[in-house]
Amino acid sequence: MKTNNLFFIICLMASLSLSFVSCESGDTTRPVINLIEPAEGEVLSIGEEVHFEMELSDNEMLKEYKVEIHDNFDGHSHDEATRAANEPVPFFFEKTWDVSGKKNASIHHHEIVIPADATPGDYHVEVFCTDAAGNEAFIVRNVELR
Amino acid sequence: MRIGLRPVMLLTGFVLPVFAQERDSVEMNLRLENIVIVGESRQKMINRASALAVEVVDKKFLQQHFTGNLIQTLEHLPGVSSMDIGSAFSKPMIRGMGFNRISVTENGIKQEGQQWGADHGLETDAFNAEQITVRKGPASLLYGSDAMGGAIEIAQLPPPPDNQLFGEVVALGTSVNETLGGSAMLGVRKDAWYVKLRYSEQHFADYRIPADTLVYLTQQMPVYGRRLKNTAGFERDVSLYTRYHQGGYRSVYALSNVFQQVGFFPGAHGIPDVSRLRDDGDRRNIDLPYNWVNHLKVSSRQEYVLDGAMASWDLGYQHNYREELSLFHTHYGDQTAPAENPDKELAFSLHTYSSSAKLRLFHSSVWEHTAGWDMQYQQNRIGGYSFLMPAYKRMTTGVLWLTTYRPNTVFSLSGGIRYDYGKMDSEAYSDPYLENYLRERGHSGERIEAYRWRSYPVNRSFDDVSGSIGFVWTPDGMNQLKSNIGRSFRLPGANELASNGVHHGAFRHEQGDPGLPSEQGWQWDLSYVGEREGISLSVSPFVSWFENYIYLRPTGEWSALPHAGQIYRYTGAEAVFAGGEASFAVDFLQFNYSLTAGYVYTYNVDERIPLSFSPPAQIRNTLSWTGGHMQAYAELQSIAAQHRIARNESPTPGAQLMHLGASLSLAVGGTKAEVSLSVRNLLNTAYYNHLSFYRKIEIPEPGRNFRLVIKIPFKSNLK
Repeated sequence: MKTNNLFFIICLMASLSLSFVSCESGDTTRPVINLIEPAEGEVLSIGEEVHFEMELSDNEMLKEYKVEIHDNFDGHSHDEATRAANEPVPFFFEKTWDVSGKKNASIHHHEIVIPADATPGDYHVEVFCTDAAGNEAFIVRNVELR
Repeated sequence: MRIGLRPVMLLTGFVLPVFAQERDSVEMNLRLENIVIVGESRQKMINRASALAVEVVDKKFLQQHFTGNLIQTLEHLPGVSSMDIGSAFSKPMIRGMGFNRISVTENGIKQEGQQWGADHGLETDAFNAEQITVRKGPASLLYGSDAMGGAIEIAQLPPPPDNQLFGEVVALGTSVNETLGGSAMLGVRKDAWYVKLRYSEQHFADYRIPADTLVYLTQQMPVYGRRLKNTAGFERDVSLYTRYHQGGYRSVYALSNVFQQVGFFPGAHGIPDVSRLRDDGDRRNIDLPYNWVNHLKVSSRQEYVLDGAMASWDLGYQHNYREELSLFHTHYGDQTAPAENPDKELAFSLHTYSSSAKLRLFHSSVWEHTAGWDMQYQQNRIGGYSFLMPAYKRMTTGVLWLTTYRPNTVFSLSGGIRYDYGKMDSEAYSDPYLENYLRERGHSGERIEAYRWRSYPVNRSFDDVSGSIGFVWTPDGMNQLKSNIGRSFRLPGANELASNGVHHGAFRHEQGDPGLPSEQGWQWDLSYVGEREGISLSVSPFVSWFENYIYLRPTGEWSALPHAGQIYRYTGAEAVFAGGEASFAVDFLQFNYSLTAGYVYTYNVDERIPLSFSPPAQIRNTLSWTGGHMQAYAELQSIAAQHRIARNESPTPGAQLMHLGASLSLAVGGTKAEVSLSVRNLLNTAYYNHLSFYRKIEIPEPGRNFRLVIKIPFKSNLK
């Protein structure tokens, strides 16, 4: 009798949760970033354009992507207040592109330009991508500026 | 049953009447109604007194599941989960609610650490937890704002019935992180006085994980020697408990200090870089990044019992100090390392003063009333080169009235109402480096103004009414049915109101909302317990509905801060929690088989998706055997996969884990030593804990763990 009761209650709970599940329609699937260029460990030439190539996809709808490039120095050495006028400047790049209204996007551009006065060394390339619902994917690549 | 030489027998009710009459008139008066049933356990007694689902954890349970980490012990209870940060730090979660929705009290004082911090654990001495009560469901009527999801009450065992000097020595060793730990306790009961002193220490090395590589953001990272680098640490705790009891007067004074220092896995702090994960050849060192915490707590309690009434007054002070140290790093070119403590990334210094008074009237055995008042004042100061929490002052106070109507021994109705008032004053902090950084990047003045605040100025007050009503129906000694419906609320935390910046561990821009209303919800729960000879069954379903449930919502707006994707803003939503626990146990011959299960369903009604940190369904099958002085068990723990995730959370696959254990009671030199050996995760299965801080960087849980606990109690009678 007891196990019957238990069974009954568990069935009740299960059906209750199923009834909730049925109205779940929000999207929790992240977009997918397939970053082709720059590749991991790639050397990017100072004073030149970066060949940027990637594939984005989402189960519902893409929204935007953002590229950020910043240095991966040790954090102690570069103090802007003490830098001489002609000394190289750590390269920083940040830009957002709109890819809304699409489920898939093939990106290929040369919009990222590394200025001639950029400090050579290790950098991070970070790519973030969001979909219409606010799901986010991101990828980090280690590159070298030379 | 293992009964040590200490007065563990008090846990079983049949000695209570005798003891109570002779020694403890306070307890006798309070428990008079309950002790008519001879042989009723403390568990049953507390269960009869509360219309909420309550789990009472006894000494035997604590001993069998002792890990050196209290929350990981409590995780064995259905409906309770452990949110872990590696092997050492854990936070409790009850029925899917964690962080500052759960209150932990020790000796009647609410523990105040940094409950909301994702990379922060509970600071208590696991060796010192002798008696624990877990209240599932809204306990804000009893504890105010922060107990809306439940409460964990840690208490001391009652003193021995006669004058004696007693104590124990406990040694703990584990293989997964090479813990060496121990605790020594010395107590004395002499007439009206009872004093107990405890000292505990634990040292552990980097813990082992059953994996050779981690995949983090498509980058494969090696795990050198199958150990998670720099997760070593140590803990050192001391506590003193004093009680004076004469006639109708009783006073308790407790003092404790917990110190923990634990390293962080370097891959979880900042951008992971292979070079930082290389084996440093020393698995016991604590290198940067690491954190240390010191928690000091002083409390006192005064109690008077008069004819049919009891008055009590608690007073407490706590200081929680925490520092996180990490090699100085910045994204703002002109920020230089501070001259003093250059690697101090953040520091919190939280002072909490609390006081509460209660008057309990039980003149009539049919109708009992409790009136109470409490207040708490907190002051948080901050330091370090990178912090997310604001400095703040917070005051809360509440008045409550509880009543129980018990017309007969079969049925009781209880309810209560509480009014709370709270004030939050957080200090603004504008970051000059950040401001410069944004200016150099060419952001507009408007945008700079929005971003430069690392903490917003907030000066707000809140007030709310909470209440509950429920019944306990015990038609006979074999069945009990309880149900409770309650309304609870919670003041938004300082992080939810005022923080603005990148959480260095969580890697995202978390932003408070200074205008957030308080969290409010209704909870209903039912609990049935049935017992026949040798068989017991319990089922406890629940449903909660929140008009306003605060969560971190991804906004889709890009943050201007370096290393951050979109902004996550604390937002209120309508939410539903549902689920329950079930357990079944049967005794046969010398064996006992038990099955416990727990399930939580969460739903964000506004977004039509689950909430984050939904604990996966779980079932434990345990077969135990008791014979003479020996006891052994085998357990199969089945964790379901969790695919019900919030945005930007990863689904977690399920796992099957095997645990074994045995314990032996040995007579050595006039005392009985308890030796227990257990192995957790026998098959060294690689699996993930959906609730772990390390989950998002795909670090599996600790591997196979052998654990040895030796406990030697002693006592000597005093005249």
